[in-house]
Parts: sequence; C-alpha cells; structure tokens
Amino acid sequence: MSRLLIVIPAYNEEKNIVRVVDELNRCCPQYDYVVVNDGSRDKTAALCRAHGYRLIDLPVNLGLAGAFQTGLRYAAENGYDCAMQLDADGQHRPEYIAPMLQELERGADIVIGSRFLAVKKPKTLRMLGSYIISWSIRLTTGRAICDPTSGMRMFNRTMVEEFAQNLNYGPEPDTISYLIKNGAVVKEVQVQMGERLAGHSYLTMVKSVQYMLKMAISILLIQWFRKRDTETPYPERSL
Amino acid sequence: MTDQLLIRICLIVGSLLTAAYVLRRVRHAKVQIEDTVFWLLFCAAMLVLAFFPGIAYWAASLLGFQSPINFVYIVVIFLLLAKLFFLSIRVSQLDSRLRILTEQVALNQEKQEREKMDL
Repeated sequence: MSRLLIVIPAYNEEKNIVRVVDELNRCCPQYDYVVVNDGSRDKTAALCRAHGYRLIDLPVNLGLAGAFQTGLRYAAENGYDCAMQLDADGQHRPEYIAPMLQELERGADIVIGSRFLAVKKPKTLRMLGSYIISWSIRLTTGRAICDPTSGMRMFNRTMVEEFAQNLNYGPEPDTISYLIKNGAVVKEVQVQMGERLAGHSYLTMVKSVQYMLKMAISILLIQWFRKRDTETPYPERSL
Repeated sequence: MTDQLLIRICLIVGSLLTAAYVLRRVRHAKVQIEDTVFWLLFCAAMLVLAFFPGIAYWAASLLGFQSPINFVYIVVIFLLLAKLFFLSIRVSQLDSRLRILTEQVALNQEKQEREKMDL
C-alpha cells in the first residue's frame, strides 16, 4: 500500500481542529497526517502541541496555497507516495480517504472527492460559481469535472513534486484545468461533505464573487499560455 | 475621427504588446496569475477604447471634457493611482511579514543555541 500523507491546513480553527484530528485518528490511524498552522491568531497551534499532533507552524499567514504547498513539500522531502488535503473545519470526512486512495492507485494523477458525481448539483445561487467553473473547464479541456471547487483532493508522487516546487500551483480549479490540458489524469470519487463544525467561513459574498471572477479569467484566458515544465527534477534536500 | 487614428493605433499596439509580455511572464512561470489579472483587464479596457472611440466621445461630452483624449488620460491616471495605492498596501504587508519572519528565525536560533549550551 502506498504511503499517504494527509495535509490539514488550519487557519484560526481552534474550535474544530481537535475534533477533526481525533476523528481522523480514530477512523484511519494507518495514514500519516500533518497539521499546517497558517499563522493563526488563535490557539490552533497551542492545541495541536498540547495534544501531541504532528504540526508545522508557519510564523506568518501565507494563505491556503502557501499552507498546502508547505504540506506537499513535507511529503516530497519525507518520501511519501501521495498526499491529500483535508480541511480543518470538519467538512471533509475521513471515511472517504480509502476509496479515494484506491482510485489513485488505479492510475490517476489527481483524485477529487466530489459531492456531485452521483448526486445532482443543486441549482442555487451558491452553486452558480461551481457551475461556471465546471463549464469553463468543460469548454477548455473537454473534460467534465463535477465538483471543481471541492478542496478534498489527492495527488500522486509526480503531482506532489510538481506542486511542491512550482509557482502558480495553488490547490484551485484553475491548476486542475491546466493539468488536465497538459495530460494529467484527473478522476472523481463520490463523497459526502458535512457543514463546517463551528466558526465562520472566510468566504463572504464579495470574496466569492472575486474568487469566481479570478478563476474564470484564469481558466478561460490565462491557462492557455502556460508551459508545463516536466524536465526539472525535484531537488532532494533531505538525503 | 481621422486625426485620432494615430493615437488609436498606438493604443492598440501598446496594449497588445503589454498583454503579450505579461502572458510571456506567465508562460515562463515568472509571475503569479492573480497579479496579472489587473494588467490584462487594463489592456482589454484600452483595446475597447481604441476600437470604440465613441465611448470616449460620449463620456467626454457627458462629463464636460474639452477633448475625448482627456477622458482617456483621466481614466488611465485614475487606474494607475488605484493600482499604486493597492501596491503600497501590499508592500507594507510584505514588510511586516518579513519583519515577523526575521524575528522568528532569530528567536529559533537563540533557542537552538541555548539548548546546545544547556547540554
């Protein structure tokens, strides 16, 4: 079985982090995990230390892309075969890790934990952005990705190394569309997601509109011009 | 209209070259995509003004400018000032992050040296 690292980026998640990691430990103790504290201003880091969780504590706030990249670099440096993102707010359920890993081992580069593979996507305002991104990816790559905004994504070793060392590899739908266009195999597995356990999401109305606009411009216009560098090997630092 | 032809051609060539340069930087992974969005939208706006100068004529008469080109100048100056403002906020944030980062490195080193001395 391949060695999987579960990356848990956490920003101001003191109310959820203990429940999420304990649930993960109870459900799947066979996988390694690491909490990446993204310069939280609350007690997230202190709680992780008190409970003895494996923790990378960033001294400044880098945002999700930076926090997740830290986790992937950790995976690359420590010889993991694959890595995945698990949100610290309790939306991602650990029982779906095993089926996603199975799908990855069947030869996918990226596996997305998708809410809408077998379930119909609701036609609500909240899902409008998801529809727009799905449609943009469909238009530019010809592939249907049912849940492009799902944060529950699993990457194989090649992808881990590529994400760990490059610019413009945020864990976002535009990177997915770019990778599909460049020949990566992206698969989806049906999962269920819960509501966030406590606290507020940082996604306000204005921010989500901004996000959608950025993603749409990026997927429809900018990704065409990128060149994928598959030559440069990952620099080994830990040997 | 014909006397504005040269400036329209300049606008078109200038914005196309700028867009090409920005996209080249993206291609070689020298810039983050979110930082290019402003410049690409800026180029698009200039292109629209160059292809449809009627917009500038209409807005100039609406706001009481003597010449439509003045309207174009005002728009460009305003956009650049706004960009400058956000850039200076960003530099200030970078500055404080760098400070915290340096402090953290120094504190970690002090801790390491102290542990070594205790051994």
